[in-house]
Amino acid sequence: MITDFPSSPLPLPREEEAAGELAVLGGRPMIPKGLGRTVFPVITKEDVFTMLLSQRVAPEKVVADFAEAYRAYVGAEFALPTASGTASLHMALAGAGVEPGDEVIVPAFTFIATAQAVVAAHAVPVFVDIDPKTYCMDPGATEAAVTPRTKAIMPVHVHGLPADVPALRALADRCGVRLVEDASHAHSARIDGAVAGSLGDAAGQSLMADKNFPLGGEGGIAFFATEAAYRRARDYLERHGIDYGMSWIAAAFGASQLARLPYYDQIRARNAELLGDALAETGLFRPPYVPAGYVHAYNMYRITLVPEAVGLEDLPVYAVKEAVHELLVAEGVPAREWQNTPIPCHLPFRKRAGFGGSYPFTLNPDAVRDHTPDDFPVTLRMLESTLTLCRELRSPVEYERVLRYADAFRKVARRPDVIRKLVADGGYRRPWEKAARLG
Amino acid sequence: MEPYDTATVLTRVLTSGVVMSIEKNDRELPGLERALKKLTGRSNAVLVNSYTAAVHTALVAQGIGHGAEITQPGLDDRTAAFLAWLGVSVRDGSPATFDSIGVDGGNAGRLRELAATGAPALVVNLTGLGFGPAAAVLTDDPKAWARGERLKIFGAFDLRTMWTQEEADPDLVPGVQFNYRLSPLVAACVRMALTKAAQPAGAAS
Repeated sequence: MITDFPSSPLPLPREEEAAGELAVLGGRPMIPKGLGRTVFPVITKEDVFTMLLSQRVAPEKVVADFAEAYRAYVGAEFALPTASGTASLHMALAGAGVEPGDEVIVPAFTFIATAQAVVAAHAVPVFVDIDPKTYCMDPGATEAAVTPRTKAIMPVHVHGLPADVPALRALADRCGVRLVEDASHAHSARIDGAVAGSLGDAAGQSLMADKNFPLGGEGGIAFFATEAAYRRARDYLERHGIDYGMSWIAAAFGASQLARLPYYDQIRARNAELLGDALAETGLFRPPYVPAGYVHAYNMYRITLVPEAVGLEDLPVYAVKEAVHELLVAEGVPAREWQNTPIPCHLPFRKRAGFGGSYPFTLNPDAVRDHTPDDFPVTLRMLESTLTLCRELRSPVEYERVLRYADAFRKVARRPDVIRKLVADGGYRRPWEKAARLG
Repeated sequence: MEPYDTATVLTRVLTSGVVMSIEKNDRELPGLERALKKLTGRSNAVLVNSYTAAVHTALVAQGIGHGAEITQPGLDDRTAAFLAWLGVSVRDGSPATFDSIGVDGGNAGRLRELAATGAPALVVNLTGLGFGPAAAVLTDDPKAWARGERLKIFGAFDLRTMWTQEEADPDLVPGVQFNYRLSPLVAACVRMALTKAAQPAGAAS
């Protein structure tokens, strides 16, 4: 039997471990070798049991029951389960009334599926820069990008922090365009109590197993504020013969995972708070910014580097980041860049082949730009100065792991001398000068 | 497939902890690919999450996109609507651009015989086996396979390396990309159903 059950527990950290030599210099890593794996997703006997029960129910009812339960949790008016997050975003746009050749404004920093879903809807993505504190779509830049052909604004709740929906809602209403959320990172994220997915005219959300709310492998769900939008999306599928249906096997895990979602949310919030407190003490690291009234879902945890806090202000921040990245990985912390290039500079949007013959970009040439990274200075600054933890806060049972991560960051922040030496030896390049990475 | 068999397969995959299509150590998707290649006698398989995804993949695999015209005999209305949405016009007739077969519990044991067709791409609709939307495209052309794989992911290579877009083959620049990825849980069930159906009469337990 192949099992993901851990072969041995991760010990609680001892004080002398954090005070020890850096792993890159021969010390003991904070996460010992062989214990680095984060068990994810969490599958329990409840999931197996509901899966067994679902075999006695008509497949379409398994999917419909799941969609209804999650719709009620989110507080959206209508829901359409789909085979993937991308399909859900496509359906959200179709429901919002996006037509071929329309412009949809999206942030330059997101997962590439946000912009590809716009192309899937035969529309043209228009990219704007992000806010320097939240790393979500900048409302000012968005307003500047609105044209008479704009049909929708599509903010992304990046890493689980809701975008500035109040400002974007006001902008959308003022301009007579739709607000479509990409809530793929933002299960249970909230603004003043309202859950992501229920904030816009429509929303799409991934439910793949790498998310905070995982189904059985791959899946997604679109939400709609009105019955008219929901019907528009349903009719679109019917009219064009598209099969975006969710497998009952994916949905079968929805009920049990949904029941545990609030528990997972609390564990992630606890881990984020614990790690954030530790980072704030280091000076070198700054935890994610969360505006008052917002609940961050922490699907990912993006950490900002502050070199000047430890006397490294004379070094390029991207080089400090690369050196810190090496040190953290040596300590057993699986920190990642998670993106290194603005999305409009990725191949599909540089070449713009689309469906073939550059369709749908040919429908609206005025909306198309040959972007360079410099067009998005805030995104570049963010890419230069941040590192991300992805799955590492999600595992509900490993309190000891987040304690060790916190110690690893403390250990690294205490050694600006080593960071300086690595930078001198490193020959590091800016993030976007390397091959574009999706994650 | 008997509910007991389905439950056993699903529990086995769940216990492994690998349920995502983008996991490096997933064994279920490659397992189904191998089974389909063996059963159809084709050398390459692209797994996708629906019949229409497979039709789309079969076209992209052959470099057919928006604005192209193809010949295809006897298209049903739904597939014709889908091709129109892709911007591909169709003339009724031969040769077929792709062949299409629907597999279900009744004919799964005859897949080898059903697959004996001549078009460059073979669409196998696996939805009828009862595990939700699932399909595959079979082809003997490795370049067509590479193009088809690229449509269903985000990136430039395959599922295991989709997190980089470093280009190795300038002819395979990705255009629009859909997440047409199949869940390993669904793949495991489909493979079990096909394997059981292919067993000689009396051999199934």
